[in-house]
Amino acid sequence: MKKLYFLLAIIILATLGLDWPNFLNFFYCKPDLLLIFMVALVFYTDFKTALFFGILAGLTKDIFLPWSLPINTICFSIWSYLIYRLSRQISTEEDYVRWSIVLVAALLNNFSIGLQGLATGNIIPPGIFLRNLIIVSVYTTLLSPLVFKLTKRIAS
Amino acid sequence: MFKLPRKTLINFILLAFAILLVSIFLSCFKNPAQKIFKPHLSFIGLVKRELSGIIFYHHNMIQAGRLQNEVDLLRLRLFDLRELSQENTRLKNLFNFKQQSSLRLVAARVIGRSVDSWSSSLIIDKGRYNGIKSGMVVISPQGLVGSIVESTDNTSKVLLINDPNQGISSIVQRSRQEGLVNGTLGTNLIMRYLPDDAAIIVGDIVVTSELSQIYPKGLLVGRVVNIGREFSGLNRYALVKPVVDLANIEEVLVIVP
Repeated sequence: MKKLYFLLAIIILATLGLDWPNFLNFFYCKPDLLLIFMVALVFYTDFKTALFFGILAGLTKDIFLPWSLPINTICFSIWSYLIYRLSRQISTEEDYVRWSIVLVAALLNNFSIGLQGLATGNIIPPGIFLRNLIIVSVYTTLLSPLVFKLTKRIAS
Repeated sequence: MFKLPRKTLINFILLAFAILLVSIFLSCFKNPAQKIFKPHLSFIGLVKRELSGIIFYHHNMIQAGRLQNEVDLLRLRLFDLRELSQENTRLKNLFNFKQQSSLRLVAARVIGRSVDSWSSSLIIDKGRYNGIKSGMVVISPQGLVGSIVESTDNTSKVLLINDPNQGISSIVQRSRQEGLVNGTLGTNLIMRYLPDDAAIIVGDIVVTSELSQIYPKGLLVGRVVNIGREFSGLNRYALVKPVVDLANIEEVLVIVP
């Protein structure tokens, strides 16, 4: 039953991402809700579930992107594993630690996607690259408590 | 003549005298009586006034509530009608454009946008069932919107012209200067590979060129807003503002060959 709810949460968050209202855009940026969900899964579920649904979240994101490379699926699985390893090394009980992890994961994810775009010969002006790197990551972190609450509720 | 008994006559006279006395001294009783009655009469008056005020207020409150509901409902209907009117205008423009255009067009509604900030795409509600295939061009009555990159049975994914993966062979309408227009994820597009002596000025209109294998010739792309020199110093570039409001587009037309 829980797994069904996780699946439903992915669908809801992806729909929110696709239909994110323009007035909630911050400097033309929208938050990465699926990334927050992936990070939250590592904190509130066991590793296998987190990895499985993390990959599924990445795959869902990639399905709706106009690229052929499933970069989010790859990145989400890597971040899931790394956060799991990190959570065994340090205490992640405090909220601010979790939010910091979301911020770092968002920064890394956006940097990887941006770098992939540049590597394929796309022109992304430095201002827009930094905007997508920093503002998206911060916006994602700011919304993380809400997604964390949702994930915690489903997991408990 | 009729005769009254003496006793009755005296009673009548006494009664008349008493009435006369009371009438004379009535004004003397009025003041103290009113003084005695005033406080509680005032109090009763006040209570009555307040009660009628409360009843009036309550009545008004109910009426105001009902009217407020009515206003809200009418305002909602007005918004709906305004929205419908705007949609009607947009669809009318789209329909007129479709009628006048020599191209075969399929109208579609935007049902989703890019899920992240690193790409610029749309999801439309028409797919393979409507004859839409990958590589088809998407336009609006204002100008070029993008191209189809994926299509399923009922939906298609449109890569907008401001996506960095998009490259459009274009020309400056006035001088026929050629260049390649790329998306930058920002509000402007970049027209590259312009020679040092390129005949291009701010305000020039950029359209698709016949060299483009995907886009039909002459589709309006945008207007030049700035010209600069590339980092290498070999070429110049121009920033082009798309004529279509890509962030808020709601309906599009797909060119079906």
